Amino acid sequence: MESKELNISPVGRVEGDLDVKVYMEGGVVTRAHTQAAMFRGFEKIMQGKDPQSGLIVTPRICGICGGSHLYCASSALDTAWKTQLSPNALLLRAIGQATETIQSIPRWFYAIFATDMANKKFASKPLYQEVVKRFAAYVGTSFQKGVTASGRPVEVYALFGGQWPHSSYMVPGGVMCAPTLKDITRAHAIMNQFRNDWLEPVWLGCSIERYLQVKSWDDLMAWVDENESQRNSDLGLFIRASLEFGLDTFGQGVGKYLAFGTYLHKDRYNRPTIEARNDALISAGGFYDGENYHALDHMQVSEHVQHTWFKDHAPLHPWEEPIPTPVETSTILTETDFDGKYSWSKSPRYMEHAAEAGPLSRVIMAANPANLEHQNRDPLFGDIMKEKGPSVFTRTLARMHEAPRIYEYINEWLGQIDLDAEFYIKPEERDGKGWGATEAARGALAHWIEIKNGVIENYQVVAPTTWNVGPNDGEGKPGPIEAALEGTEIEDAHDPVEVGMVARSFDSCLVCTVHAHDAKDEKELARFKL
Amino acid sequence: MINVLWLQGGACSGNTMSFLNAEEPTVVELVTDFGINILWHPSIGLEIGEQVSDLLKDCISKKIQLDILVFEGSIVQGPNGKGTMNYFADRPMMNWVKELSEVAQFTVAIGDCATWGGIPAVPPNPSESTGMQFLKKDKGGFLGADYKSQAGLPVINIPGCPAHPDWITQILVGIATGRAKDILLDDYHRPKTFFTDFVQAGCPNVNNFAQKVDGHFGKRGGCLFYEVGCRGPMTHASCNRILWNRQSSKTRANHPCLGCTEPGFPHHDLQKGSVFNTMKYLGVFPQDVPTGQSKLLYYARAGWEKVLPTNKELTVTSK
Ligand code: SF4
Ligand code: SF4
Repeated sequence: MESKELNISPVGRVEGDLDVKVYMEGGVVTRAHTQAAMFRGFEKIMQGKDPQSGLIVTPRICGICGGSHLYCASSALDTAWKTQLSPNALLLRAIGQATETIQSIPRWFYAIFATDMANKKFASKPLYQEVVKRFAAYVGTSFQKGVTASGRPVEVYALFGGQWPHSSYMVPGGVMCAPTLKDITRAHAIMNQFRNDWLEPVWLGCSIERYLQVKSWDDLMAWVDENESQRNSDLGLFIRASLEFGLDTFGQGVGKYLAFGTYLHKDRYNRPTIEARNDALISAGGFYDGENYHALDHMQVSEHVQHTWFKDHAPLHPWEEPIPTPVETSTILTETDFDGKYSWSKSPRYMEHAAEAGPLSRVIMAANPANLEHQNRDPLFGDIMKEKGPSVFTRTLARMHEAPRIYEYINEWLGQIDLDAEFYIKPEERDGKGWGATEAARGALAHWIEIKNGVIENYQVVAPTTWNVGPNDGEGKPGPIEAALEGTEIEDAHDPVEVGMVARSFDSCLVCTVHAHDAKDEKELARFKL
Repeated sequence: MINVLWLQGGACSGNTMSFLNAEEPTVVELVTDFGINILWHPSIGLEIGEQVSDLLKDCISKKIQLDILVFEGSIVQGPNGKGTMNYFADRPMMNWVKELSEVAQFTVAIGDCATWGGIPAVPPNPSESTGMQFLKKDKGGFLGADYKSQAGLPVINIPGCPAHPDWITQILVGIATGRAKDILLDDYHRPKTFFTDFVQAGCPNVNNFAQKVDGHFGKRGGCLFYEVGCRGPMTHASCNRILWNRQSSKTRANHPCLGCTEPGFPHHDLQKGSVFNTMKYLGVFPQDVPTGQSKLLYYARAGWEKVLPTNKELTVTSK
């Protein structure tokens, strides 16, 4: 069999189609438009249904971050029903969220991102051979190790949720499960395997404790050169090759960052309210406008639909938004008028700004000096943003940087579960409004619910992919990926790997197709599946 | 070598994620040991750009033999039957499916969306979604009741939300190793080898089911049928025999079975009171009773057994 047919990578690029239209002039992208090409109408389906429908329906919005949707759906009901959450419930929800996110880290890096580093564009670089040996799709020596290891953390999810993907074990008032001693000990053992098989020997080349001492860009550079094992680890190679290949020079984006934060502290959110959430978070949320941090306020979110194939309305906060009504005129990319409607995705805005969601936003929030004692306080990316700024490299490094920290959290939380205490406190159903939010592996995710007469009156979901792949807003301002593509230099118009790397560094959960066009005569030059 | 083409319509990718968790064989072994050649898959395919549509056309013209067409996700027919709510390679996806299914040796629907329409098809079904050969319990679906693939079989339905990785890989291996004749299908076209027994078989709570001892959330021990809507006795699937993620199953983790392998999923169309709650008549009698039992008989017996002295101590599960 040819190696081409063996090129199988367990990827998370899925869920519908994303088409990207790119205009280029003199080899540089001048304009880009993103088009999401599939509609299912989940919000419409939930209207008029049982208030708990979101627990079953929303994980199925995306099978890659279904656990994150579950986290939001149960939190939205917690705030609407004014539930009580035991420390155990908060711990088990956080463990579920963290195991889903950490599995996505190696799966994403090897299967989606790093294979592009083996593209022939980089063939003349000294580190190219080593990169190909390790990161080439399917045959790379690290590829299989990383992809196999990625199946481990969701085994822990299954111990508490019964299965991954698509469990509904988080419910308003807590969690369904009541783990036994053997579930906890097994979970510890499975996580240890993940560390021993991949995280320390393959990825870091050092202990987790050593890596977490890195606090600045200079520290990181010194860490790379400290010894052979760190230099030659996959992280060491990724850093050296990225700088050599110039991945730190493109894909900047809108320069504004939004994180909803996640992991609620077991003793600080036992009476869940929207107002109390910010201070109870372990991984902090917020908005960073490029200069200043702003405390997270979900009321600053609005959605534009001017360029979305939905009936028009003014930009509105999700609680005020109507359930989307599709217009009949969706068209394929080649026939689309970009002054009009051109995507199934809405354009969410925070304080009227397009904002990037994802791991980079999260690590920027971790560097906020105002973070509280129990929060993740990590200055590293504050410094990296100053020294290097955003780029394909910075974004990818941010994603990978999270693995050791999340690993530590999971073990710590497993250790805090009290097998004699409660896991679920039955709430009372009531009408009202609720909001639930989290950080999916790929960024800020939130659900807004309104319950009236005991059924769902309104349900609105804004996913990280919506933040990142959304089209222009009402004022013509581009979405984050649209913006990040502008200015990207494309060496070979018939193999624009740079465009792919920008789009993939955001890890949108859509299959992307890039259509490259000549900016002057509008001629389509090429089309690529990413 | 068996050529497999895997496409996604109105999907969440959950079945692909599940497939990637497969262990016996792994997805890699499927290719290397069983000669399964994945022509294309949205997440585990190659960067073949516009070759995707060329490849589909080559399958349709029989230049490339299409042995197995695997479809994940609902068939999106909206708006007004035009299918433009789901474009793929410059056409409505449903048009590709129609033409590809006519040349495929075997057509396999994976997951509830592809088998019965799944969640997208819950009323009011905004995307006009349907399954390949069923819409809910009604035979017909997108391809029609009489559809047969080139090998003479109807659509092989592997339901589940998502389908268990073993259910997928074993059927592919079955076809690849020349055992298609052993794939016996039930009335809903599910392979009997996985969907004859009920989820209840192998559930650690069956004693409590027999003793009519209630289970609740956040507490081990007790059966989840009486109050929180477990569908284990009405659901054909092997979840408690072939474990999920090698570790567990819903009912093992104290999670009621949602009945996701049956064409009614999500049951009662998510109406008020139906989620994680046993729907009852007169506030007492469960609306859905174990499959194969008459309701009257079940109620009579259950009423009688409820008052029998039972050894409730049995239900206290050690931590
Ligand atoms: S009803 Fe559900 S919990 Fe009870 S024994 Fe059957 S499968 Fe297990
Ligand atoms: S236990 Fe029930 S709901 Fe869960 S996967 Fe099996 S059949 Fe589906």
